[in-house]
Amino acid sequence: MVDPIFDYQFRLILIGDSTVGKSSLLKYFTDGKFAELSDPTVGVDFFARIIEVQDGTRIKLQLWDTAGQERFRSITKSYYRNSVGALLVYDVCNRSSFEHIPLWMMEAKRHIEPHRPVFALVGCKVDLVGDNKNTTRREVSCEEARMFAEENGLHHVETSAKSGLNVEEAFVLVAQEVYNRIQTGEYKVEDGWDGIKTGFNRPNGMDFNLLEAETVQSTCC
Amino acid sequence: MPSSDSEDFESADEGQSPDKKERKHRLSSSNYSENSLENNLEHKKTPNSANTLEKPEENTNEPTDGWDDFDIDENESIEPEPRLEVKSKTNKETVKKESTKSEDTGWDKFDDWDQDVNTSSTKIENDPPVPSKQPEPDIKEVTDRLAAASTKSSGWGWGWGVDSLLSTATAGITTLTTQVSQGLTTVLETGIGAPDPEELARRNLRDTEATPSKSDDVVTSDSGKEETDVPRSTSETAFPFGSLLSGVTKFVETTGTKVISGGLDTLETIGKKTMEVLQDGDPGLAKKRAMLGLDPGDKPVLSQVLREAKAKAEEEDRIREEKREAKEVHYENLFDDFEGLVHLEALEMLSRQVTMRLDERIQAAAPEKRQDIKETLQQVAELCEMPEEDDDDEETPAKDMSKADAFHERLQTATQDLGLKLQFQPLIKQYNDILTWLDTSDADLTQKAVYKRSVSGLAQATALSVELYHKTAEMLLVKTRRSTADEADALTQMTVALTKHIGDLATLFTEKLNSIPTDNKEQNNTYITNIFLEAGNSSTYIQNAFQLALPILQIGAV
Repeated sequence: MVDPIFDYQFRLILIGDSTVGKSSLLKYFTDGKFAELSDPTVGVDFFARIIEVQDGTRIKLQLWDTAGQERFRSITKSYYRNSVGALLVYDVCNRSSFEHIPLWMMEAKRHIEPHRPVFALVGCKVDLVGDNKNTTRREVSCEEARMFAEENGLHHVETSAKSGLNVEEAFVLVAQEVYNRIQTGEYKVEDGWDGIKTGFNRPNGMDFNLLEAETVQSTCC
Repeated sequence: MPSSDSEDFESADEGQSPDKKERKHRLSSSNYSENSLENNLEHKKTPNSANTLEKPEENTNEPTDGWDDFDIDENESIEPEPRLEVKSKTNKETVKKESTKSEDTGWDKFDDWDQDVNTSSTKIENDPPVPSKQPEPDIKEVTDRLAAASTKSSGWGWGWGVDSLLSTATAGITTLTTQVSQGLTTVLETGIGAPDPEELARRNLRDTEATPSKSDDVVTSDSGKEETDVPRSTSETAFPFGSLLSGVTKFVETTGTKVISGGLDTLETIGKKTMEVLQDGDPGLAKKRAMLGLDPGDKPVLSQVLREAKAKAEEEDRIREEKREAKEVHYENLFDDFEGLVHLEALEMLSRQVTMRLDERIQAAAPEKRQDIKETLQQVAELCEMPEEDDDDEETPAKDMSKADAFHERLQTATQDLGLKLQFQPLIKQYNDILTWLDTSDADLTQKAVYKRSVSGLAQATALSVELYHKTAEMLLVKTRRSTADEADALTQMTVALTKHIGDLATLFTEKLNSIPTDNKEQNNTYITNIFLEAGNSSTYIQNAFQLALPILQIGAV
């Protein structure tokens, strides 16, 4: 169970081709573990973790791990709408997963409209590069990905869910950007949109009408 | 800051003659920056600024006022010199100008109010006879101290009220004293027979011009008197003093008396009024002393500050802990933490989208077929109605089977016609965990702990159940061959099994609660009521999830 105290909740969605490593990335981020084998995601799975942005504000990231499989495509697209950030995930050793990124991005933009999410381009499985046993080779160069990211105004980061390289950074990057946009007023907490929600810590709208709460000084008003 | 080091200005001043203390007081209240060297310079220049009326306690107060911090204005400390020369001139404007000038350069760090206050307090002291002959030394002391303190206050974020009050009071006093001082000077002169040197010089000049021949006898008698009383005038005995007396007498007779009596009365009134205002609602000035930190006992001590900071931090931690605590037994929050809410929300999204697709299909269908479609949908909905809860108190599971296994088997039996590979493991594992916890929990288990565990257990079981519906719906949507009737039946059975599971959990927990001996029966009953309330809540969530899955079943039929 996650620590209950947080200031904001951001909903981020992970999209990308099947088997690029979305679920592994999330598992490492939330559990600190790497699973050698995992079942393909059905529909969507959820992860959560609280992080802190630069000024110490606590952000609960609610992470929507979508199925990459083609057959779930019609389902997963119903899940985009309430996301404030989208991680476009590809496998650095899988050329086609990178080539599909523009499609994923268009799809996300289309379904998240009228909101404009924060995008990040996340390359996975960098640990496989240079691992001679596996004969796996990098098929997407870092420069190439960075160039694409710059052209489209995305953040780019290469990660490994096995070694943990840059996993944290990828999520913090997005969270910080979302938070910055809240600070500048570009993003707001809106009714009927769950991309950003205020957290438990906020004074609004939490009354403990439980028995326990009666003995406790009401600190929320 | 205590008087240990002889290089410090405090200590340099402290052990010394009263006149030096007085000067120190003057300097400290004007710019608070001295060092012993400058002090000595001062000392040489005006060796006899005899003011013995300065109270010793003022000097003892000085170090505790915290002014020793203000040695920032080193360039400043020279400036009192002109002031000291100026002081004897009765020209009020010159005094004011000088002191204001020196204040401006030194106090530009502070706001205008403080400058005002400070300037005026300095002005009081720039008229030497006034402090020495002041009828009420208390007033001076108080205004002095307050003025000094109000200057200090700028650093401590004081409000306007006191500042403005003080400045008004001191300004008033200043105006008066400067006016009165002329008269007082005269009093002093006649009293001790020692006029100010420069005054003397001027008058002498005037008088010698007017009556050059008069005076020799007077001079001798006068000068002798002077020498015994005030040593500093010895050098001035060279001047002819004969003219002096007449000049002084004339002056006193014409203006002095009036001004003195009127002035002193006014001073007294103002002093009293000031004290009244200051003591208004604050008898003995206790609060103001406390605020100004004049009482040594009230001074913030580092250890106390730290202690307070620690207490504050602890209080914050406690509040945080209470929030956490409150959340720990808050069903909705727990349900959210176990991802139940988000699964429900995702299921809702799917449901809404499928409902729209159903509506589209009905619209797109030929008019004569629409009714058929609606009927089919209705039939599916009826299949999904929950059976009456009479349930044949069912096949008691085989004796060798654990409760969790029985639950697992029930779920599998219920969903075998669904044609999907559903993951029941999380639910079963959670059930096992609860059963183990209830069996092994130690004797000193509190009711509250059981209650907390029950709320959390119910919330988790519900979240897992909702996830089950969500996954089922997703899989049904991507399933290639549908058999709506079977699916509807299977899901209904699953719902029955899940709601029964929730009821079982609630029963287990309340049994556990009742097994704990307690003297607080009422609290126990409240807990039990709450557990059943949350169990009802759980069942509602589960049935809502089932209803949300209905369109997904329906769309397979049309």
